[in-house]
Amino acid sequence: MMTSTAAPTIPWYFTVTAMIVAGCLVAIINFGIRSTFGFFTVPISDAHQWPREIYSFAMAMQNLIWGLATPIAGMLADRYGSARVLMAGALIYCAGVIMMAFTATPLWFNIGGGLLVGIGIAFSSFSIVMAALGRIVPADRRSWAFGMATASGSLGQFIFAPLGAVLVTAYGWQQALIVLAGLSLLIIPFAAPLLKQNTSGSRPTPGEADLSMRTAIGIAINHRSYILLVTGFFVCGFQLAFITVHMPAYLAEHGISREFAGWAMALIGLFNVIGSYAAGIIGGRGEKHVPLAFIYLIRAIITAGFVLLPVSNATTLIFACSMGLLWLSTVPLTMGLVTVMFGTRYMATLYGFVFVSHQLGSFIGVWLGGRLYDQFGSYDIVWWLSVALGVLAFLVHLPIKEIRQPRFAAG
Amino acid sequence: MPLSGHRLALALFASVLIVWLGGMAVVIRHAALPPEANGPMLAIFEPGMAEEDMFARLTRADARIVKQSGLSFIWVVAGDEPGLAGRLKTQGALGAYRELPVSPMIAGCFALADAKATAFIQ
Repeated sequence: MMTSTAAPTIPWYFTVTAMIVAGCLVAIINFGIRSTFGFFTVPISDAHQWPREIYSFAMAMQNLIWGLATPIAGMLADRYGSARVLMAGALIYCAGVIMMAFTATPLWFNIGGGLLVGIGIAFSSFSIVMAALGRIVPADRRSWAFGMATASGSLGQFIFAPLGAVLVTAYGWQQALIVLAGLSLLIIPFAAPLLKQNTSGSRPTPGEADLSMRTAIGIAINHRSYILLVTGFFVCGFQLAFITVHMPAYLAEHGISREFAGWAMALIGLFNVIGSYAAGIIGGRGEKHVPLAFIYLIRAIITAGFVLLPVSNATTLIFACSMGLLWLSTVPLTMGLVTVMFGTRYMATLYGFVFVSHQLGSFIGVWLGGRLYDQFGSYDIVWWLSVALGVLAFLVHLPIKEIRQPRFAAG
Repeated sequence: MPLSGHRLALALFASVLIVWLGGMAVVIRHAALPPEANGPMLAIFEPGMAEEDMFARLTRADARIVKQSGLSFIWVVAGDEPGLAGRLKTQGALGAYRELPVSPMIAGCFALADAKATAFIQ
């Protein structure tokens, strides 16, 4: 008698393609919603008769908390699975945005918009998504998947910003926040396919040593190449945050119209999608640290050229397009390097620590930009600092050894 | 890198953009001024409509033309009589807006009109 054994059928929502798509949708929502918060500065401050500082402080705190909470989110994702952390993040994100809509005191606004939203962003961020994709996708397609997740986050930023503005105009700031809070809950169904990738009680993947999380972190922070990577990512945060916050003012100072500055910032967002995706492909074709180093060097060259040449519409356009291409293109390569050095088991945790450095850089870039402008009446010194840091990041990335850290290798 | 990966990316991003455009269309419609509104505003017609046709419709709506925006189908107009927004709509405008509810920071093709309207209002 013959017996036939049918291969177990995988439901469509647990296929690799569905999980990649789901992860990308999470990244779009996560990154998109936070990109709308700039549109609430004026209406919320006016409604509560607050000075702008209160809203700004909450947003600054949000960015810092996002950075600090990322390694914690990573640890939880590596321990309990990315999907659960993403879902918990969505709930916290939603609660924070709802609090932004209904709180009337600065303290509670900071707790909602600063603390809770910061934690929510970290817990549902694309680094958690990338950790899941890193485990799901075969090694030869991993970099591409990281690029796709990063590009999705970039796309989210690009499409949600105008949507947020329209929502405020159409329904008022409070209703708009409620809509955005509702949208943040979409992360829960989108994260569901990633439940298949559950690291609870996981064993190390083939080729990886069986290390505890504490040991893994201890080894990583004493690993020279990891420290170099962490140092370099600080520069990324510094450069991007400085440009995001201070470039419109710099352009206005040099006679570039407000509308043209708007076009320039939009172009950065658009080219960011292309650059992130391309970086993922490049990272999959060979070494990651060399293109990463050159991204920083090219950023430095472009920035130097932009500052040295007279500011015009043409130079602004060229700067915006080229910086857009290099904007988040560091992310898939940095994440890829973490995976090469330490494998996939603790990648969310170890990338989380790299990201803390990025957010510290962001904080200093924004703060120093304003501080030095107040002191010297010009942004030039910060632009040149950005150039110097770009060259430093280039030099720092070159010696990175793109091999598995010996104690993370099996056997 | 298999081509299917790129196809997947393209399909996903295109689908997201289509959903986004649909969502934006709905919300932008809701963001339009109420029919009784007057004062300075932007009148938006269907892209591709002949300039003379739009001009005639604006005149029939008793709108004072301030200027045409960078996009040929968006006009900056004004009118003191209440009901200008409603009259524009009756004359075939897709909607009337105090300013286009899209930030010039990231608005893409709407940025120009937005900024012009804002500058005008200020």
